[in-house]
Amino acid sequence: MQIRFRKGRDFDMGPAAANTPAAVRAVRRVGLEFRGFPGLIVDALVAEGDPLRRGQTLCVSRHHPEIAFVASAAGRVSRIRKGARRRIETIEIAVEGDEECRFDVEPAQTDDAALRALLLQSGAWVAFRTRPFGRIPAPADQPSAIFVTATAGTPLAPDPAQVLAPQLDAFARGLEALLRLTQGAVFVCQPPGPALVTPRERLRIASICGPQPCGLPGPHIHRLWPVSAQRSVWQIGYQDVAAIGDLLSTGRISVDRSISVAGPGCDRARLLRAPLGAELAGLLDETQQSEKRLISGSALTGREQRFLGRHDLEVTVMTPASDAPRGAVRGLVAWLRQSGTGATLPSEAFERLFPFDLLPVPLMRALAVGDIETVERLGGLELLEEDLALLSWRCPSGSDYGSLLRRALDRLAEERAP
Amino acid sequence: MSDAPRLWSGSEALVTLVAVSAPLVATILQQGPARLVFLALGLGLATFWHLVFARIRRRWTGWDGLVTAAIFAVLVPEALPLWQQGLALSFGLVMGDLVFGGRGRGFLSPAAVALAFALFSFPVSAGAAPGPASAIAALAGGAALLLARVLSWRVVAGFALAMAALQLLQPGWPALPGATLILGLVFLIGDPVAAACTNAGRWVYGALAGALVALLETAGGGALSSVVFAALLAGIFASLIDQGVIWDNVRRRARRQRHG
Repeated sequence: MQIRFRKGRDFDMGPAAANTPAAVRAVRRVGLEFRGFPGLIVDALVAEGDPLRRGQTLCVSRHHPEIAFVASAAGRVSRIRKGARRRIETIEIAVEGDEECRFDVEPAQTDDAALRALLLQSGAWVAFRTRPFGRIPAPADQPSAIFVTATAGTPLAPDPAQVLAPQLDAFARGLEALLRLTQGAVFVCQPPGPALVTPRERLRIASICGPQPCGLPGPHIHRLWPVSAQRSVWQIGYQDVAAIGDLLSTGRISVDRSISVAGPGCDRARLLRAPLGAELAGLLDETQQSEKRLISGSALTGREQRFLGRHDLEVTVMTPASDAPRGAVRGLVAWLRQSGTGATLPSEAFERLFPFDLLPVPLMRALAVGDIETVERLGGLELLEEDLALLSWRCPSGSDYGSLLRRALDRLAEERAP
Repeated sequence: MSDAPRLWSGSEALVTLVAVSAPLVATILQQGPARLVFLALGLGLATFWHLVFARIRRRWTGWDGLVTAAIFAVLVPEALPLWQQGLALSFGLVMGDLVFGGRGRGFLSPAAVALAFALFSFPVSAGAAPGPASAIAALAGGAALLLARVLSWRVVAGFALAMAALQLLQPGWPALPGATLILGLVFLIGDPVAAACTNAGRWVYGALAGALVALLETAGGGALSSVVFAALLAGIFASLIDQGVIWDNVRRRARRQRHG
């Protein structure tokens, strides 16, 4: 199955990493950021200063204590940072030693319930995100399909075919495990080229091409298996699937991910293998570290944070925003732009950036006024924050439709909760 | 969203201001300094009303009134006394735009509202029609707006199709588009705030506006009043057209999901 998207737009953010094997990078600190998990509250099972083995449970979800977050490196808990209402925001680990936990994978090879238990306990479960709502699925949840995103989200992200080439066995084993989590189909969305896995009845391949944001799972799901209030799917990244395959064969969790470090603030784009949650500053060369903004994810959809986000495979290095523009004309233009209007100007450009069969301007208006019924009617349940990044970029009002959508989705999810 | 390569805030107003300056210059060259006096008054009025509303609302609502004043200055009949022009422009700025909270929150083109007020309240002969220089300048402005995607090509195409179809049906109808018609299409009917906001809706909206212009013109209206009132009527229907498109989209997606 081939899908070609025409709408969207690619940005020139500098050269991508060359097709060389990823250099393994040891980091001194890793951290778990909970900002990327909407609607999640966790309870810590460790305290500051505790020694840790790799794979040891750090904390569990308060609503579903079966869902565990595990340490991606051995070491010591150096800090547990709390935010508003004393919710845990980040758990930081100072890396030392190489001790690790082993998991009993025998029962999981045949028993579906044991497989779920293994994924939950080993921290692999949190790689799944549901659509609608973009949350970690409940332990007993049965999705109507699972989407494996094996497309590069942006031009700077690592090439999935290259990353997976040495891990195809593990990837196939991971897909077998995914097939046991759902009654429905497992879709593998990959770039054009040789199929990453042989398709079968419930295992389908879609090759995808098109400009940004067509590498993101949102457009794939919308085209292949649209979700609604009655029908949910899970999405997961290709490296997490390979990690599940590794776990099932070795009994040890696989924490290293191939990530790209690139962007306008970076002298040379490079491909690295670094652990989940690696400290971003540790991924740069020593000489480059001064005065950079590090974004976990792409320039449009990422977040400026200290540690690599759980779902991110890309670090964008930006130079800090320059000072006020110089020159009379540029100053005047900047001044006129600053006095923006705060309302959407419904130009045709939005349709050209939005690869969904949804109506962007009515949706943006509904989001701006917080009308969640209309958001739902216009297909808001099919979207996550990242799908609206280009609309926010283009909109003269300066609204961030991603965070408006998150608010709407959280309210809709609350209404649905039993 | 962390660090977008470029931001669009306020650029639309700038692009429109640049686009309207070409026909403005052409008109001033053709009609002499009388226009210039009114343009100055119009810009002053726009600034005044924006400041008044910024004070009432305690927030600044942008510079779009200057664009409205410039469009109005291009299209208004020159025989109109200065105070009547000022009154009409004030009405358009306030009732067409500022009472709704500024640009992008209203549903009509403020310049069209101002011109409709002027044509209704102070009927005068339209005077000398804008010459070919204005027409060429209007085309240039329209091309700039099309390139910036402020003006939708779908609206223009729908408009042209509807006019052409009506020509074919009834050959006696006005033939060549004059400068007034082009200016009205680009700056009044094509105003993204007044137009429909969905792609399918833009076709329908453009066609409706084209048909209305043709109808009003055969009914004996001048070129200016036809295009102004067509812009107003089509703008009023734009949200209804969009609702139809939304309804169709929702129904289509629901059906796809049932059978998918």
